[in-house]
Amino acid sequence: MTAHAPALSLATLEDWLVAVNTEPGELADALERAARRCGVNATAADDLERVVTRGPRLSALERLSIYRDGYVARLVECLADDYPALACALGELEFGRLARDYIAAHPSRSPSLDAHGAALPAYLDTRSEAWARCASDLARLEWALVEVVHAETKPPLTADAVAGLDPGDFARARLTASPALRVLGFAHPVNRFYQAFCEDSAGELPGPESSAVAVHRAGLSVYRLELEPTMRLLLSLLTGGETLGDALATLERELSPAELTHVQTHLAEWFGAWIAAGFFTALELP
Amino acid sequence: MPNLGVGVGLRTTHYAHILEQEPEVAWFEVLSDNYMHTRGRPLEILDRIAERYPIAMHGVSLNIGSTDPLDLAYVRELKALRDRIGARWVSDHLCFTGVAGRNTHDLLPLPLTEETLRHVAVRARVVADVLEAPLVLENPSTYLEFAGNALREWEFIAALAEEANLGLLLDVNNVVVSAKNHGFEPETYLAALPMERVVQIHVAGHTDHGTHAIDTHIGPVPDAVWRLYGKARELGADASVLLEWDAEIPPFDVVHADALRAERLVELGAAAGF
Repeated sequence: MTAHAPALSLATLEDWLVAVNTEPGELADALERAARRCGVNATAADDLERVVTRGPRLSALERLSIYRDGYVARLVECLADDYPALACALGELEFGRLARDYIAAHPSRSPSLDAHGAALPAYLDTRSEAWARCASDLARLEWALVEVVHAETKPPLTADAVAGLDPGDFARARLTASPALRVLGFAHPVNRFYQAFCEDSAGELPGPESSAVAVHRAGLSVYRLELEPTMRLLLSLLTGGETLGDALATLERELSPAELTHVQTHLAEWFGAWIAAGFFTALELP
Repeated sequence: MPNLGVGVGLRTTHYAHILEQEPEVAWFEVLSDNYMHTRGRPLEILDRIAERYPIAMHGVSLNIGSTDPLDLAYVRELKALRDRIGARWVSDHLCFTGVAGRNTHDLLPLPLTEETLRHVAVRARVVADVLEAPLVLENPSTYLEFAGNALREWEFIAALAEEANLGLLLDVNNVVVSAKNHGFEPETYLAALPMERVVQIHVAGHTDHGTHAIDTHIGPVPDAVWRLYGKARELGADASVLLEWDAEIPPFDVVHADALRAERLVELGAAAGF
């Protein structure tokens, strides 16, 4: 519509607009980098209006800013949706800073926004802030909650099916874990923090203290079950594919006599609770 | 495609109400992308809602205008979801969302040129072949125009619809927003569209910042949008109507009541002559 508009191809204009939107830093820096990348020399106001027109009330630069600001805001909002407790713990300013750094390091390459936050726990491990280790643990818990929401569920193994197992076959039986179960260990009590967040009473991120949790979905509901260390070890072995016999043998090797007695005392109770919760979907005899 | 009446956009905050109360709603529009990358709870809920209500699918990631290769795996997933839930049609936006593997998750404006027209038409026909049904495309809200544009958006859409045998999703709120941002008359836009191709109409709210308007989908629907909806009806758009409300979402009954204004406007409009 303007006589002097340069004849830029569709591919060039698309590459340029995406670069202007997604390059980190200030808009002026993004325009410089986009110019170098795409060969679209549009960094000064006059040059820019040879690519993007001035609107009735906004300059070309202001019109571009609407898209660029929206890009960052949309991804920050998506991360805050996936990591609400972390966002609450860090506060809007700090979380926003973290999210923008993460977005710069991990620009979205998937058609789905659902996957964009997946690398945040690992990214937090690379950060040097005092809160980063605990934040990474909390992020792993929150991402597990996302994962089980989207995981398929299958009919659970019933107590009757377990009761029908011949006692002689017990040791060689192998359980199949529900796709909607995650068993996690942490260096911080993040499940306790998350619970406090749910009850609107979360304070600062907690200091180091090992903890473990099973995250599981049954039907439309998601559950978190705090695990003591021996429970976590046994459940991890079983969900990792070990037979019941091999798992118990590992416990005998790894645990102290007192811990082993503790497991033996509670084994039937734990196992019954896990079956009732639907942690397993099948039992096979190799 | 059938006129389903007045529907509401399905939003997660209303899941429990819809599942428990089964409100009388003519149909729901679902955001395709929310159900394509999951095998879990969202899909289980959608299956239950699709058993009870007619559904149409509306996506944001087809990337129909991109110069990246068309993502055929994505299109096949769209088709699989449509077949699973019996959706009446599949729509997306006239835009591009990314290129060279980078995704902005935004509905970016296309240069409105003959080159773009040919490019999008070819891709839309491929999508229709895979879907085994016409693709439905929506006019987007835009905040910038390229200096090299050779066509106005309404000219582009009318030509593309003919070239690619498209169904149109006419978003009258987007017309109002873009009219403010680019300084054209909304009625000029509507008058150029082939209304016989409109299979669905979107109504929604926006945020007017004085210098420009942003398509925020905040409700209730403003009078300017309802007036343009009435104009579209007057021009012959006899299509399913859908209210989108995505910011500060109120209880379901409030959203539904606002959507039902479309029915009352039709009655009033019929009395007034459209």
